[in-house]
This record gives sequence, C-alpha cells and structure tokens, in this order.
Amino acid sequence: MTAVDSPKANLSAETPPTRRPWGTWALALVIGFLCVTPFILVIVISFGQKIDGAGWAWDFTFANYQRFFIGALWPEEVTLLHLQRLYYALYYAVIASVLAVLTAFPFTYLLTRQSRRAQSIWLVFILASLSLSEVFIVMGWDVLLSNRSGLPMLFEVSGATDWLKETGWFEVLREWGLANPRNVKFKTSEFATVLTMSYLVWPYAVILLYPALSRLDPSLTEAARTMGAGPARVMSSVILPTVKLPLIGAVLLLFVFLLGSYVTVVVFAEPAKQTTAVAVYESVRGSTLDAPFGAAQAVILLVTAAAFLALAQYLTKRSEIR
Amino acid sequence: MAGLSLKYIRKSYGDVRAVENVSLDFTDGGLTALLGPSGCGKTTLLRMIAGLEDPSAGSISLGGRDITRLPAHKRKFGMVFQSFALFPHLNVSDNVSYALTIAGTPRGQAAARARELLDLVQLSAFAERRIGELSGGQRQRVAIARALAQEPDVFLLDEPMSALDAKLREDMQVELRQLQQRLGITTIVVTHDQHEAMTMADSIVVMSQGRVEQMGTPQAIYHHPENAFVADFIGKANFFDGVTEGGNVRIGQHLLQVTPPANFIDGSPVRMAVRPEKAMLAGADDGNRLPAKVTFVRDVGPVQDIHLDTPIGRMIVSDSESGQPLRVGDALQVTLPADAIHVFPRLSDQAAA
Amino acid sequence: MGRTFGHIFMALSGLVLALPIIVVAGASLNGGRTMLFPPEDPNFARFVEFFVTETIWVQALQNSIIVAFGASTLAVLLAWPLAYILWARGSKASKVLAGLGSLPFALPPIVFGVGLGFLWAFTGNLGALWVGIVSHAALFLALPLVTISIGLQSIDRAHLDAAATMGATEAVTFRTVILPQTLPYSISGFFFALVLSFNEFIVMFFVSASAYATVTLQIFNSLRNGYTPTMAVAAVAFIVVSLAVFSAVARWGDLPRLMGADQSRN
Repeated sequence: MTAVDSPKANLSAETPPTRRPWGTWALALVIGFLCVTPFILVIVISFGQKIDGAGWAWDFTFANYQRFFIGALWPEEVTLLHLQRLYYALYYAVIASVLAVLTAFPFTYLLTRQSRRAQSIWLVFILASLSLSEVFIVMGWDVLLSNRSGLPMLFEVSGATDWLKETGWFEVLREWGLANPRNVKFKTSEFATVLTMSYLVWPYAVILLYPALSRLDPSLTEAARTMGAGPARVMSSVILPTVKLPLIGAVLLLFVFLLGSYVTVVVFAEPAKQTTAVAVYESVRGSTLDAPFGAAQAVILLVTAAAFLALAQYLTKRSEIR
Repeated sequence: MAGLSLKYIRKSYGDVRAVENVSLDFTDGGLTALLGPSGCGKTTLLRMIAGLEDPSAGSISLGGRDITRLPAHKRKFGMVFQSFALFPHLNVSDNVSYALTIAGTPRGQAAARARELLDLVQLSAFAERRIGELSGGQRQRVAIARALAQEPDVFLLDEPMSALDAKLREDMQVELRQLQQRLGITTIVVTHDQHEAMTMADSIVVMSQGRVEQMGTPQAIYHHPENAFVADFIGKANFFDGVTEGGNVRIGQHLLQVTPPANFIDGSPVRMAVRPEKAMLAGADDGNRLPAKVTFVRDVGPVQDIHLDTPIGRMIVSDSESGQPLRVGDALQVTLPADAIHVFPRLSDQAAA
Repeated sequence: MGRTFGHIFMALSGLVLALPIIVVAGASLNGGRTMLFPPEDPNFARFVEFFVTETIWVQALQNSIIVAFGASTLAVLLAWPLAYILWARGSKASKVLAGLGSLPFALPPIVFGVGLGFLWAFTGNLGALWVGIVSHAALFLALPLVTISIGLQSIDRAHLDAAATMGATEAVTFRTVILPQTLPYSISGFFFALVLSFNEFIVMFFVSASAYATVTLQIFNSLRNGYTPTMAVAAVAFIVVSLAVFSAVARWGDLPRLMGADQSRN
C-alpha cells in the first residue's frame, strides 16, 4: 500500500548517502577497458594503413573502406568482391535464422505446455546443445553430409538415389548443385551451410522464444476456444499476434549471431561464396595479413550487427510495454 | 522506556502527499491500531515509525529522545510484515534468533532465547522446520516471535492478519491481544479491518487520505464519531443530507429533533448519520417518527436487516428484538431517537450516500 | 489427435537436435584415424589418446579447464558488484555500465576477438594464459550478470526491511539475506560462463597468438587437415560436461525460471 516502493528509498533509509564512489569508478574502468576498448581499437585501426612486411601504422585514411565497397583500384576498376562476401553473410544468416525461428516456434510452444519437470529435462538438453562449440556441430554435420558416410551413403544404400534418378528429381538436384553424376552430394553447398547454421542457432531460438511463450496466459486460448475458434484460428488470431514482436526480435538476434559464424562457412560453403567473417580472419591472421583492412571489415560487420541488435532491442521493449 | 510520539509528520512522494501533518502520542504498553482504507497512508506512517522511510517533515521521539534520523537498524523496533518476510534460507529457530545472531550473541544463548519465544507462541515443536513447511498461521507466529526476540521498545505489525483465512484471523486476533497484554509492550497495528481494530486495540487512530480523522478508544469512536468519514468507516450508518434549523435538521418537509442540539448556524448544509441498530421499528414515542415501506428483508439469524423507503431517503434498520415477521411491501413507522442522530458539517464535494 | 501430432513433432525435433551428436559419439569409437560412421573396428583407443597419451590433447584439455574455471570465476566476481549496483541503485549510469558489460557477448565474437588481439598486442601480453582467462571473462560477463540480476529481483523487498528492523546494516543484510538467497543464481551464472568458455575458440584464437591452445582451438587450428576421431572424443567429453552441468543447474536451481518462465505457474 506504500505509494512508492523504490529500492532506493529503502536502502538509503538504512545507510547515510555517503557511499564510496571509487568502487563504482574502478568497476566502470575495468569494464570499459575489457569490454569497450577492443571495439574502439578495431574502429580506430580500420582507418590505419598497411605497411608491407612491417604490419601496419596509424593513419586516418578511408582507403580500407573504399577497398571494401568499390575496390582498391578504383576508379580504374571496380571490385565488388568484398560487398559480395557481405551479401553472402547476410544471405546465409537471414535464411538460417528465419528457418530456425519458424521451426523452433511450434516446438517451444509445445514445450511450454509440458509439466515443469519435463520442461527442465528438455531445457537441459537444449542448453547442452546450445553451448556445444561450432567446431563440434560442424564436425557432426560434416560426417552426416560427407560423401563417404552419412546421408549420401544412406541415399545410395536405401535405394533413394535410384528412385530419384528414375523419377527425374536427380537432374533437378544436380541443377541445384546437390548431386554429382553418381549420387547426391551436400558438400559443399548453400544447403549444407544454411542447414548447419540454422541447427547452430536453433537452441538459441528456443531459449529466446521460451519466456514470451511460457508467459502466454492459457486462459486466453481457452477463452478463444469457448468462442468457437479452432486450433488454427486460435494460433492465428490469439497466439501469433501476442508473440509477433518477440518472434521478430528472435530472428534479429539469431541473425546477428550468425553474421560472425566462421567454421560453418569455411567447411560447407563453396570458396566463391565465403563471408565477411572469414575475410576478417584471413586479413588479420590468415594469409593476406592486412590488419587495417581486416579491422575495416570487422567494423562493417559490427555496424550491421549493432543496427539489427538495436532494432531487436526496440522490438523487445515494445513487446514488454504491451 | 517507550513514550513514542510523532510531531507534525509529513511524507510526500513528489507531488503526492502520503501522510499529512500527523501528530500522535502512543500509550505506553498499549495497543494502538492505525485504521483506514487502503492508500490512506497508514502503512507509510508505520514504516516511518520503524525507520524504513524518512519523513519529509516533522519529528519522531522515543522517551524524549529525537529518533527522526535514526536508521531502522539502530531503532530495532520489532516489525511483523504483511507477507511475514520470513527468510526462506533459514529454519524457524534461526529466523527467530536472527536479530541476536547478527548482534553477536553467543550461539547457545541465541538458540535458548529462540526456544523461549517459540514456547511463547506455542511452536516449540517446529524449531527445526523450514519456512516452506509451515502453514499461514504458523508463519505468523514465527514472524511475531522473531520480531519480539530483540526485546524491542516498540512492536509494529503491518496488516498481520491479511495473509490468513477468515476463521484463523479471529482466533489470532484474540491470541495476539493476549500476548501483547502479557508482555505489556507498546504495540502499533496497521489494519483496514475495523473488527480487527476493535477486537485488539486500546485505542484506534482512524486515518483517511494521509490525515488522522479521529483517535480514541474503540467505544468512543463507534458511539461518538467526530465526522462523517469515521461514522461511515466504523460500523454501518444511514446517511441523510439536510440543513440545520434551530439545532435540529431539516430534510425536505421533515424537521428531525437532535439531542444535544447541533451547533451550527441555521441553514448550514449538514450530513446526518443514524446507526442501523439505533433506529427502531416499534414503540418509543419520543423521537422522530417517519412512515416507511419495506423494500427488502435480509435475515441472517440473530439479526434482521430491514431495508426501508422513507420520505427522507432509503435506510437500513437492524432489528434484533421485535422478531416480527415483515414482508416486502409492508407499511410501518420507523423511529429515529433524537440522541442517536449524529450531525456533521457537509462539504460541498460530498454526494449523498 | 492434435496432441499426438505435437508429441511427434517434439520427438522429431529432439531427434534432429541429437543427430549430429549421435554421429560424433559413434565416430569417436573408430579404431582407425578416419571419421567413419558407422565406426569401423569400434574401440576406446581414441579416448585413451585424448585423455592420456597424446600430449597435445592432454595439454589442450588442461588449458581449457584452467581458462574456463578462471574466466567464469572472474566473470562472476565482476558481475556481482555490477548486478548489485544495478539492482540497488537502478541509476541510469549503472544501466549504461551493464549494457557495456554485455556488449562483447551480444556482438559477433570475431569482432571482439580481433579487438582484443589489438588490445593485448599493445599491452604486450598477447599469448599469455591469463590473457585468455581475462578475455573470456569479459566475453561471458553478460551471463552471470543476467542470472544474478534475476536472482536479486526475486528477493522480496520486505526481507530487507525485516532485516533492517532487526538491526542489520546494509552490509549485514547483504551477507545474511541477499547473498544466501542469490547463491543458486550465482552458481548458475558461473556454470553458464564455464560451459560456454569451454566451447569458445574464436576469441581464444586471436588472444592466444598460437602460444597455447585449448581443446576447441586445437580442433579449429587443425581444421584444414580435416576431422579425426580423437576430436570426436573431445566433442563427446564436452557434451557430457555440458549435460552434467546443466542437469546440476536444473536440479539445484529453477531452470525454467532462469530461462524466463512465468514463476506463478507450474
């Protein structure tokens, strides 16, 4: 019944307001140093200059960005190679994150209707697979999709390959790059890349959707059902509208997460369809050794990620207000 | 010690005045109830007494010493919270001895004191239980024992019965009152339940909108309400709006006799209150007789509540004696004894009840 | 009918989720050096290799453990004051600070890794093991920050008032009420950071400067030569650790609530 029950009022009533601010400042300093300076350094160095054989030097040049967007040789020649890598990064990430959310949504909805105990067991399993390193996940799918074992072998042994050949679907798969003359093949392909990526974030999708769906009041759907709405109608008229914003928010977060995925792309994507994240690695520590250009690409990745994160944050805020 | 006194206490949150100019002297060793509807500022007042909130203005003193700026942990007034606020990570005994443990009392001594207090609230057998294993009534006893463990100067209870079910509530009211009388500790109870206040309190402070409306013994407050709010909030009352005329009250064509005469200038707008059990259906020639028609009869066993339509307005009469069978539509006479009529000034913003 | 369909869908999802894990577990039993599934000549030779005989893996596992425990301890120690200030004061500045602390986890790790690489190169510490620990602590600071904040929010404010009326100063209240009640949440945060640090390799790649390797980094480094069954053993070991840790969190903490479920319902 107290009009204002702020924690501040309670705590300040116990202690006089003579706090030691240096503790807070020290904490701010540590966090600033560890969590913020790395990003600032990346931004600053992206304006630097490569020195042949001696690393790089401070500078203030837009050459690295110019090289990213139109190529180093502009105006004589325009190279869109780096933009194309960004395009592939976005392309894989969009499809994989949408796919993950679309399949994780019904799963999570069903999960939240389970008993608390069953939910706990599922969550343990999902968290374990969520924390699994990208190298391990790629390892698993590598075995599953490689030509010598896994799915292609299963296709051949089970006769599915022959059936595909008879029905003519095999030719379609070849056109899509999912088959060689003898059998189906998934490595390397966009299909394998997107599949593995969406597997990679699927547990994250469940975890992100879980709060919104578990707070869904079951009496809402029950009310709709008493008014004559069938299951499909309940889904489209009651559940989807209430979780629309968290759903979009989840897609955006997963998208940001996938922008930086590296191993999946290196192993499953064709060499011509590599992404910016791979290029950053190549520039900073790989064969080309051009730290400023690597930093510039990282900044572009950073800006893209930050923009989508901000959008996700905005959507989450809005869904909380409602 | 004790001798708790509040002087011109005010509390505002921004523009909202939660408590306004409250001055009170609490009876030593007595139980005072702060009574009022929710949002009237009674809990805020209690929290200021405990030291959990700072008053915006005014002073609090204990035994002549100013304690206004003394933080809660130095006042150490024992307090029972609405939710009981028992620590789930400690067992019953450790909850009770908490104040002693953090004050550095030796373990054995603290445990002995906890046993003593659990004895007092008849929970000795539950000392090792976890809080989650207790019923609501048991939790309340633990909360009371815990607040008393530090032998506080003042014992505070914030809506102590609200988490209990109705049956248990009445038993606990009697029990708490007996315990308080045995210990003779100055006690303040916040409640919105007038029965609770009247069952337990030596004196009642009726509050509304941050102000003290009236302070007095339960009997004084019931029989001599000082204003319309108190008359309405304590017990039931029938209200009629009228104007004064020679110390009496005129409502339409009817002039109602009032003793003692109301002390108002003629023509003042007033509100008049009559308790349902004071109005009579039969006998008594002296008084104001009005024709009435029965509109509804509510028979709850020992008492009949009879709803009436009268020329001065609708009213309810509680009849426990006549026992005459009445039916809707019956016409009869109702008597309002002159000494049963309370007259209060009527503020312009008050609508007829 | 709808119910059965739901159960089938959940089981199917679980199967797909488990598929690569099952395959990896199978591959770890290979007697030879090639990743085959089903495994050829199944035995536990690769397990012995990973845990005992091959120095590279034994050393990497040791590094993984040191980094993971060090980083998650440090992350909890940093997250506590931050979460506490955020909760007790709730000031704008503390919100900004918490936001900054969560940046590394929210943004692509490759960017943070590149930045840390620059940072530690400047300070001249690139390649030190403690740098790996500190870097992972910064990366996963957000996890204990979130769990401890959830824990603090679950404390009934009346408990703090009750402690105060019984003579507890803010420091005593912190020690006797707040800390014990938020312990499960601190431990959960520690475990989340632990497991993710165990599995992380990109940031580690940039800050280790090839001076040392953790298990996942070792796999990453040898990626060009393809996977081997010994790596599959590592995967199995890591999955088992994750399952054990999260089972412990579920057993002693409220996992659904930590994940944001409505606590009023069961």
